[in-house]
Amino acid sequence: MSGTIDRRSFLKIMGWGGVGTALSGCDLPTTVTLEEGKEEVMSYLMPEEYVIPGVGVWYASTCTQCNAGCGAYGRVREGRVLKLEGNPESSINNGNLCLMGQAGLQGHYNPDRIQSPMMREGGKLVSVSWEKAMNAVKAKVSAAKGDQVAWFTGSLSGHQAALVANHLDALGSKNHYVHETINNSVWQSVCNDTLGEANPRLRIDKAQMVLSFGADFLGTWVSPVHFSGEYAKFRKQERRGLLVQIEPKMSLTGANADLWLPSLPGSEGLIALGIANILAKNHNKDISQFPSSVQSLINKYDAATVAQKTGIDEKRLKRIAELLDERSPSLVLAGAPVEGHANGYNAVAAVMLLNQLLGNIGSTIESAGEFPFKQMQGVTGGTGDLFNFIQAAKNKQLAVAFFHGANPKYAAPAALDYDSALGNVPFKVAIAQFLDETTAAADVVLPLASYLEDWGTHVAAYQPEQTVIGVQQPLMEKLYPETHGLGDILIDLLKAANENEYSGFADYYAYLRQAHAAMPSQAKGNGSDEQTWNTALQKGLINITPGIKQLSFSTVSFDDPAADTDDSASTLFLAPSARLGLWDGRHANLPWLQEAPDQISKLVWDSWAEIHPSTAAKLGIKAGSIVSVKSEHGAVKVKAILLKSIHPNVIAIPMGQGHETYGRYAEGRGVNPLKILNPTKEEKTGELAMYATRVSVTNTNQSEVVVKMGSSDTQAGRRLVVTMPVEQYQRSEGA
Amino acid sequence: MSLDNLLSNWSQYRKGHEEGGFHDYEHRWGMAIDLDICTGCNACSTACYAENNLAVVGQERFEKGQAMHWLRVERYWDQSELDHPEQGASFLPMMCQQCDAATCEPVCPVAATYHTPDGLNAQVYNRCIGSRYCSNNCPFRVRYFNFYSYYESSWPEPLNMQLNPDITVRDKGVMEKCTFCVQRLKSAKDKAKMENRKLEDGDVTTACAQACPTNAIVFGDWQDENSQVAKLWNKYEVTRAVTKQKKDNPEKRGYRIFEELNVDPSIMYLERVREKV
Repeated sequence: MSGTIDRRSFLKIMGWGGVGTALSGCDLPTTVTLEEGKEEVMSYLMPEEYVIPGVGVWYASTCTQCNAGCGAYGRVREGRVLKLEGNPESSINNGNLCLMGQAGLQGHYNPDRIQSPMMREGGKLVSVSWEKAMNAVKAKVSAAKGDQVAWFTGSLSGHQAALVANHLDALGSKNHYVHETINNSVWQSVCNDTLGEANPRLRIDKAQMVLSFGADFLGTWVSPVHFSGEYAKFRKQERRGLLVQIEPKMSLTGANADLWLPSLPGSEGLIALGIANILAKNHNKDISQFPSSVQSLINKYDAATVAQKTGIDEKRLKRIAELLDERSPSLVLAGAPVEGHANGYNAVAAVMLLNQLLGNIGSTIESAGEFPFKQMQGVTGGTGDLFNFIQAAKNKQLAVAFFHGANPKYAAPAALDYDSALGNVPFKVAIAQFLDETTAAADVVLPLASYLEDWGTHVAAYQPEQTVIGVQQPLMEKLYPETHGLGDILIDLLKAANENEYSGFADYYAYLRQAHAAMPSQAKGNGSDEQTWNTALQKGLINITPGIKQLSFSTVSFDDPAADTDDSASTLFLAPSARLGLWDGRHANLPWLQEAPDQISKLVWDSWAEIHPSTAAKLGIKAGSIVSVKSEHGAVKVKAILLKSIHPNVIAIPMGQGHETYGRYAEGRGVNPLKILNPTKEEKTGELAMYATRVSVTNTNQSEVVVKMGSSDTQAGRRLVVTMPVEQYQRSEGA
Repeated sequence: MSLDNLLSNWSQYRKGHEEGGFHDYEHRWGMAIDLDICTGCNACSTACYAENNLAVVGQERFEKGQAMHWLRVERYWDQSELDHPEQGASFLPMMCQQCDAATCEPVCPVAATYHTPDGLNAQVYNRCIGSRYCSNNCPFRVRYFNFYSYYESSWPEPLNMQLNPDITVRDKGVMEKCTFCVQRLKSAKDKAKMENRKLEDGDVTTACAQACPTNAIVFGDWQDENSQVAKLWNKYEVTRAVTKQKKDNPEKRGYRIFEELNVDPSIMYLERVREKV
């Protein structure tokens, strides 16, 4: 490394930028030379020393199947990783791992992985050498003006996020588009505006009652494995925690609720205001602390009005308010169905207001504290950047776009006309493991190593008490020598963009090793650099105690979250529901997850539309009928199934299927409901309003067999799952 | 256990648990599954696929009931009279209950399924001739038959590299089922033996119990009174070798599915709880 780099830019290169004063005493590395770093690359990637035939050894790493940042252990035997389990050292997942985490192995060993770089020649992607591909990329990047280069990624954190930011910085670009179809952006935005931080800690384990408006915290919301652990504690309190879930279509969390109520999409904000009204009128909760506009909203929506507008019984609303008052502290949450409307922000703000009214701020909603390394915290995605990217492309502002960890071509509603916008981006580079839709449309494809073959660091946006920097290390040698890790590709690109600062790093491992050496010693713990590095690899994480912060609440004033309750039009609301399994479609190529039945419908390997039996009867639809679901912007044909776990005015089509290209397990299977969504934006945050599309449903008079697990939907009088009333439970084992 | 031994001591192996079972058990593996915190997420089932080389069969064969999910999570709707299931769904992780008086065992014409000294209901794959009588006789429907040589299609290269070398990949014509991760039990026992100590609670667990995000599944040696699983059975006053539990406090949770059939399952379930709002 040349001696001309000052300390501040050195920290930035190393990803520790933003270090507060408390952690200022960081050393420039003196103990590690690059030559030593190179040797270590060899020793960690050469399996021979570690192989004892017939003996499996567990190594720690970090799961990247979603963005929760769970710690993972991988069992390695004879140089192959065979099984993944949760890392008990991680306070995120405490040793457990969900089905997507388990199935990470099938992404790694997937038969449809891209094995060599490809370039578009004569309209087709053909295999080329790395040198040729990278030279083409570098030439295009250096020919473009700095701000014509963009990165389009999924949520990124840790040193990968730092390097992407540094790459764009070096080029003089600010174009980092971060996209996640399954997100909680509006919730984060409301938290940020009212509490001063986007991801406060949610203490489900301490709550006596959780009222969740569509927040599927056991399935697809934020950090499902962490929240599942908290949920178990919540249920096992001296007085068993009470869960009430209100949402358009039953989620996994809803399936576990004591009371599940169907809501009309977009009416949740009104329900929250109605509950606030009852709390003020009947339970002496003080609403004078709120701005007068908010007070008048609360006064406007009394129980009778809300009941009339939302179809939820007045007595029920009163009982829920009464219970919230009685079971303190409680926790009120809002998820995708609340966020997904033009006025979603207002609805989420109304929900957040309940937390303040009930005194939950500071008790079940705590500050996550101050994480010292801002650069590592990274960026969390939403759907807003999909609009921004498409707009920039339409305006011909982009010359080179890098894609990684996101599939905008699949996720973009047809109405956004992604394809023609993309035609204005002359050079597209996909860094990918599989030929998904976005990758297949790229000009250069750089084959990515799997997360079980790569290095990385991860800092999830949502963190438990200790902030976990997840350390990702290769658990085995690369299956395909031609694949590269994201970090290696970034270092290569940075060398071209900023040779002075990056030429010293042989590869991403050498960079990470140096970054660790440069990490402030208060953060990495006692011991020599060598010792702390080895500890980090053994544990698979570095725990950081965040700086203490208090939450303060300031009410944002918000407008009427009045819902579109018009049911005169003979149309239904479309719910593009999320599945713990296929997620936003990224796991559709993993056979275990295709064959794992959907938790609620129990269907496998398929797409379907969930309709309430009463609605189906009106439309002449039976289970297995192929229905045409038509919005203003397109139609899909999909088989209907009849379930009572849905609002009668809603039709739910799960996300994840309908891939045009994504390997043998995903291709040509089912439909993608995202395609027919209206391109409506949430007004305050610019997110895609995912629950605001109306569709008409018609029977095509064709039908197909519904393939699902289990032939009986009821217990038919058998004592299989016995349900005990809570009173008996409290007598026999409560306190 | 050799076939000779089995045949010459047949009456001993057929002795019911009322008569004290067939011999002193080394271990009696058992489970407790708390249905109140089981969320039905399917993590257990997928962990089982990963651990036990379970074949993925695809939609067509799934439709014919040929799926190989040793551990499946059933979902029942209980409030069919209502417009909406207001108390959510009832989830049930269902796998081989490792019955002490297993109905599958006596009907096997070749003694391919038998009871081990660990209290497991074992399946000897290379003795099985595929009569499927056992599956027919299982009240829990947890035995799975290889109608095809799934290895031909389920693990295209390099997916086959994930296969667990500690157990086999089963071939056409063979019955298979949950083993309580017998390969994990075996390695833990071997390890304890090498270290010249007794197996302790917590030394070994099954893949499903390990994965469970709410720790709803507890696995262990029921015979070891210090094990968590034995403590749970005691706490809920559930015992073996009865067809109806006699509890001092009949309000306590804890039951065994189909114990009235006198199959004596090794899995205790804890009732799901719901609060009426």
